[in-house]
Amino acid sequence: MIEIQDLNLTLGNFSMKNLTLSLKEGAFNVLLGPTGSGKTLILESIIGLRNFQSGRIVAAGKQIQNLPPEKRGISYLPQDLALFPHLTVRENLLFGLKAQKKFSGTEESHLHHLIEVLKIGHLLERYPQGLSGGEKQRVALGRALAPSPGLLLLDEPLTALDPALKSEIQQLLIGLHHSMGFTALHVTHDLEEAYLLGDDINVLIDGRLEQSGKREEVFLRPRTLSVARFLGLRNLFPGKVLKAEGVEGFIKVGIWGREIMIPSGHTAGPFSTEEVILFLRPEEVMILRPRKPIKESPRRNILAGVIERILDRGTHRWVLFRPTGLEVHLEINLPNYVFRDLGLKEGQEIQVAIRRESFWVIPFGNRPESRVQSP
Amino acid sequence: MSFRKATLIAALLLFLFYILLIFSLLNFFEGRNFLKVLLAPDILFSIRLSLVAATLATLLAVAIALPTAYALSRLTFPGKKIVDTFLELPMIMSPVALGAALLIFFNTRSGTVIQEKGILFVFEFPGIVLAQFATIAGLAARLMKTALDEISPRYEAVARSLGSSAWGAFWKVTLPLSFRGLVGAIILCWAKAVGEFGATVTLAGTMAFKTETMPTAIFMALASADIQKTIILILILVGIGLTALYAVRLVEKRPQII
Repeated sequence: MIEIQDLNLTLGNFSMKNLTLSLKEGAFNVLLGPTGSGKTLILESIIGLRNFQSGRIVAAGKQIQNLPPEKRGISYLPQDLALFPHLTVRENLLFGLKAQKKFSGTEESHLHHLIEVLKIGHLLERYPQGLSGGEKQRVALGRALAPSPGLLLLDEPLTALDPALKSEIQQLLIGLHHSMGFTALHVTHDLEEAYLLGDDINVLIDGRLEQSGKREEVFLRPRTLSVARFLGLRNLFPGKVLKAEGVEGFIKVGIWGREIMIPSGHTAGPFSTEEVILFLRPEEVMILRPRKPIKESPRRNILAGVIERILDRGTHRWVLFRPTGLEVHLEINLPNYVFRDLGLKEGQEIQVAIRRESFWVIPFGNRPESRVQSP
Repeated sequence: MSFRKATLIAALLLFLFYILLIFSLLNFFEGRNFLKVLLAPDILFSIRLSLVAATLATLLAVAIALPTAYALSRLTFPGKKIVDTFLELPMIMSPVALGAALLIFFNTRSGTVIQEKGILFVFEFPGIVLAQFATIAGLAARLMKTALDEISPRYEAVARSLGSSAWGAFWKVTLPLSFRGLVGAIILCWAKAVGEFGATVTLAGTMAFKTETMPTAIFMALASADIQKTIILILILVGIGLTALYAVRLVEKRPQII
């Protein structure tokens, strides 16, 4: 376990207060956040390149915040890879082992294994300038992993890659991590990349760690409105908790002029009677087929309305639905085969049903500037 | 006139201006006297003195300018902008003023102590080295900072994360990567030191076979209306300078490692 405890850091107008972050041993941890959220500052603090006002960095039970970078056992892979251009691939790979004076047979066989897995054996005598983008990525990964670091820090190394190469390197990273089991902290603002790579995801917004957890938990169950909005979640609607207790396992929420009982397990907090945000995943909205029976739960929440717009998103159809008598829109994602089956058209009147388990309740937060309703 | 044509004409005019200056010297140049003047003991002494003093001044300047340049390029510290500004002082200050300031310093209490208990500078060989050092040290730091600025600090960050100390990262990564820029800076500073006149003449004087460098020898020859000697000395100085500048171009043009 590597822990950043109570980190306090100020840089110009930006500040980070009492930030605590736990990185699970052997896990592929992702630090996800928008540009300017402080991701790189955290990363530089962990490596030892950035002084912070107070805080501790604990690795294997020892405080390492006062150690120089070379004594921390943390490898760093920056966005531009920073392969040493004056050294051959072989010299780049050996750089860490030589600097740390690791010359045992174990290290040698580890290096040979890396060279084999990364498929860079034929590049050893070449210089980085002559390598392709993918080859550079492989060599940089090999160089970072050669000294068997306690932690591998990856600072958005895939950001500038074209989609095909990005996908190739992502697969390589997943494979390497599975086979070697190193602890990684991958910094990115790319949601898809975070979901694909991250065992655990930590969402950082404006210098605050808003949420940490398993990827499904973070993406499907945001704990704050800031996280929900950063993740680009649609269908965020204001509601009000009418009864937080009383009915076992449920809270009563008022929304769209009706009352819905939502399982307590589908909420981000204990709530009292207060304003909240209800998040509804666009995949969870069911379009009813005329004369087809439905189960009891969705039957309670049926909305009639009209389809205002349909967009072909390639992998699915995006449908904008306007319930009759309500000043809101619901976004619905439909698999293409379902869309074709239903034969939907813009302007068509339909009915949709929503299971109460499809809602996720999050605190309204204290950000008046946050726009809740999607236009 | 097109923009491209206008800029090319400006470049050509400037080039012709300097070429014309050099060629005008040839009007009075008598080739048969060249070797005679060149091999005269006082001229040979001036050339040797200039080259030795400039080399020593450059070595001293590099020794202090390289770490200074690194600090300015890589570190954040209070008063950085002030230090940075002062480094440009020798560039905007007249060399004579710089020499006069040094001369005045050696008339202060501290300066006198240095002269009496340490090294004699005024009207002595160390004075030449000091005057040249004062002229080029700031420039060396500025040029070397530019060379270091071109190398991403991430190389060092990666080297340190891989186990190199700060010294090790500088020695094994930053120095080799910025080598060409640094060598270019050193050559330029050396060439400037060789041609330095104002500060040298003010601090070290113009004593033949003692403190007479090439530029001071040119001044003395001109003052005594010895045109042949003046022209030959100028041509030698220009030759050394152009060779140094061409060497800088060669260093910069070396192909990338592939």
